[in-house]
Amino acid sequence: MNFVAPDVNYYSMLPFITVLLTAVFATILPFYVSRKAIAGLSAVGLLVALAASIGLWNTNLSSFYGAYRSDNFALGFGIVLIVGALIAVISSVDVAKRGGTMQAEFFAILLYAVSGTMLLASAHDLIVLLIGFEVMSLGVYVLSSFQETAKSEEAGMKYFLLGGFASAILIFGIALVFGATGKFGLEAINTAVLSPEFKNSSIAAVGALFILIGFGFKVAMAPFHQWTPDVYTGAPTVVTQFMSVAVKAAAFAGFLHIFGLALQNVSGWQTPLQFLIALTLMIGNLAALRQSNLKRMLAYSSVAHAGYVGLAVLASPSQGFSSALYYLGIYTLMNAGAFAVLNVLSKDDDGLEIESLAGLGSSKPLLAATLTFFLLSLAGIPPLGGFIGKYLIFSAAASSGYYGLVILAALTSAVSLAYYLRPIGLMYFRPRVTVLPDFSGRSTRVLLVVCAAGVLILGLVPNAVYGLLELVKK
Amino acid sequence: MIHLIIFIPLLFALIGLFLRGQARASISIFAALASFALTAVVWIAKIDTVYRTPWIPGAGIFYSVTFDGPSLLLALVATLMTSITLIYFSNRKDSQQAEGMYPLALAMLTGLLGIFAARDLILFYVFFEATLVPSLFMLGLYGRKNRVRALTKMALYTIFGGLLMLVSIIATKLYSNSPSFDFLELFGRTSQLDLETQTWLFLGFVAAFAVKLPLFPLHNWLPDFHAENHSSGVADVMGTLYKVGGYGLFRFALPLFPAAAQNLQWVFMFLAAFTALYGAWIAFSSKDFKRLLAYAGLSHMGLVALGMFSLNPIGMAGALFLLAFQGVYSSALFLIVGMLEERLNKDVQNEKTTSQALEIGHVRGLAASAPAFAGVALVLWFASIGVPGLAGFIGEFSVFLGAYQANPWATALAVSTVIASAAFALTAYQRTWLEETTTTIPELNARDWFVLVPILAVTVFFGVFSGSALKLLEPSVQAVAGLLGGK
Repeated sequence: MNFVAPDVNYYSMLPFITVLLTAVFATILPFYVSRKAIAGLSAVGLLVALAASIGLWNTNLSSFYGAYRSDNFALGFGIVLIVGALIAVISSVDVAKRGGTMQAEFFAILLYAVSGTMLLASAHDLIVLLIGFEVMSLGVYVLSSFQETAKSEEAGMKYFLLGGFASAILIFGIALVFGATGKFGLEAINTAVLSPEFKNSSIAAVGALFILIGFGFKVAMAPFHQWTPDVYTGAPTVVTQFMSVAVKAAAFAGFLHIFGLALQNVSGWQTPLQFLIALTLMIGNLAALRQSNLKRMLAYSSVAHAGYVGLAVLASPSQGFSSALYYLGIYTLMNAGAFAVLNVLSKDDDGLEIESLAGLGSSKPLLAATLTFFLLSLAGIPPLGGFIGKYLIFSAAASSGYYGLVILAALTSAVSLAYYLRPIGLMYFRPRVTVLPDFSGRSTRVLLVVCAAGVLILGLVPNAVYGLLELVKK
Repeated sequence: MIHLIIFIPLLFALIGLFLRGQARASISIFAALASFALTAVVWIAKIDTVYRTPWIPGAGIFYSVTFDGPSLLLALVATLMTSITLIYFSNRKDSQQAEGMYPLALAMLTGLLGIFAARDLILFYVFFEATLVPSLFMLGLYGRKNRVRALTKMALYTIFGGLLMLVSIIATKLYSNSPSFDFLELFGRTSQLDLETQTWLFLGFVAAFAVKLPLFPLHNWLPDFHAENHSSGVADVMGTLYKVGGYGLFRFALPLFPAAAQNLQWVFMFLAAFTALYGAWIAFSSKDFKRLLAYAGLSHMGLVALGMFSLNPIGMAGALFLLAFQGVYSSALFLIVGMLEERLNKDVQNEKTTSQALEIGHVRGLAASAPAFAGVALVLWFASIGVPGLAGFIGEFSVFLGAYQANPWATALAVSTVIASAAFALTAYQRTWLEETTTTIPELNARDWFVLVPILAVTVFFGVFSGSALKLLEPSVQAVAGLLGGK
């Protein structure tokens, strides 16, 4: 028997390994250095991973016989995830100022979670994908109960219990798909489904439905979104920021991969997914209308955005992949930016009442202006990035023939304008009533300006990035 | 050249943000005048402004801009009126308290010029919606007590219509298999589509333009928008110029979907005629100058829509002419109201005195103390109700002439607005300027004349010599009417 060395290409995993190594150091070093140094180390590690991802662009390396691939899809999502994590790291620096304790372990766990998200985005094999999914989830369960308050612990517990349940359903779905096709590789599953001897289409369809539920939970699609408002509100704001962008983006990467590559020729999941999207769009937007707390409002708005990106899963992979990636990239900048503003303005992790924003335009011009940018972009007002993202998603879904859903998405995003405009109106058009704290350090202010500039540039010259995204198409 | 015209205002708006007081006012006025001067150069020297470059090639979106006849006429009006309005505003005592008006008005001007120049549907949509943001900020920052309600109403109406148009735009490209969103590549293909598809796509566009015109029953945001805006009238002028629904119909909706337009012609002609009559009717019972002018504007827009849906060259040319020149004299009436308010209102911050200053009939017999002011106001009112010899007449008359050929009944309904508008305009005029004197006001000063003379000159000149403006419109109108089967 010959020994065959496993196909391991370390170059292809460079960004992933960098993040993982940084996480290991961030676990050991807190015994010796200050918390701030760990934050710096994490930021540097993430920046190196970012550079590595950019360096690997277009190389299409793979490892483990194609189970792990650094194709442009994975790298693009990797960049989005790293940026989301970077924003969280920078935002966490301000938390100490308001007396909140972000222990150094925070960074280690955050980085482990990031490595999980990156694995999820790079996986071309259901088992690798599941490992990434679980590493990410475990990290985020811990993070959401990180503050020693009853609310935060409740959030963590709720997320863990429901998340565990969702994972179980996902694993069951994977098992069924494996049972039906005998394969774990995403392309191999599709080949098996297309082969003339394929007889287990009903088992595969049931498996697809279970996987749909598992991912529907992770990306917060109605009716599996029930945990979102409570967990997002209860978790520390920085963690919510990370969850609402990076976890969502990574889960969508897996979602797109499974349904776009492996199960695209399995029938039976498309109609339920349409119902999920329609429900998500309506519930997310209508519930956000009724919120008085900004943190909760943003939580529901992120449910609504899961509905928009969900349209890309329905679209054909050639358009859906790139438009979802573009949308999630912009979404990361604008949503994490909005959470960063919320984070520095609130005195604890309960967020703040929207009414208390009144008069912020004159008292904190920078914070108000950047928040205005993020909210307008979330609402999809041109020429900001959110509009181009929405356009690409709508266009991808429309070209696959889902006109009804696109019209619904357009109408609900008109509704969303009402709750996105309200804070802006309060900030600029009302006199100040409450004095809000301002914990923003210089790094956060720079971060906010960079995010706002990114939102504007991605809207004005989308081709600078979208041109690259063309390469994501399969 | 065309890029300078479009983006000079925005650039100077950004520069203006870093300046205060007189410097900001001067630089803003300069920017608007520069944009006007360059547009005039394009007009007089007949410079070719076609420019097209990929914007998002992957999605078939082009940065494609041109100032052809109708665009050029509307751009001239927009730049001229913005310049005049900013000069007027800098003369006002309260301009220091509302300095943000300058950059916001300039940002809106860039948006408007973009709307007029865009030939790519997505680009058009971007300018169309982006212009809403400064408009909302003007209302929100400097509006009156119920501004947030007015603002929400306007934003929701506009965005609902706009997003339906966006879906239609995307669907138009997909259904017609066009490689891009460029109008030139689309329009030959869309006319091949079957009637049902055309109708749905057409209605998506009309949703946006009917809100923007506005057309009954989607007009509800308009009166509040004007009534709640800053009493100076700057925002009202910009809002009047932002009524680009008629232009959008002419430029995109009608030529792209000729069969649908012909099929639905009678519905929209009656709707337009009713809007015209309804506006004039409500204006008659308005107690507030801003609301009166808002409904008068609604009435005008009904006539614009009537002309557009006549689908023949005379009616459409009349509609575009009316659209362009109501931007001059309707805007000017808002400025007149602003001047009047400044003279009557002792405390701008006080909601009650402001309302009183804008109330019709609260003061009477002003002509005794300010005869020249009264005379100018009368000329502009006459232009607005379509008295021959002034610019308003040419537009209205051509609209009726064209519409009559297409649908005599709807036209008969619409013609009665001429009587109704004469009634409301003259009643309001009589109660304010004539009757026994209760209050005296200062006469127009040199600065006021400086603002009003160009407006009067344009109103009278194009009322007598309408040829140069009509010649500008003719080629495009003939082309569009040719597509629609009109003669």
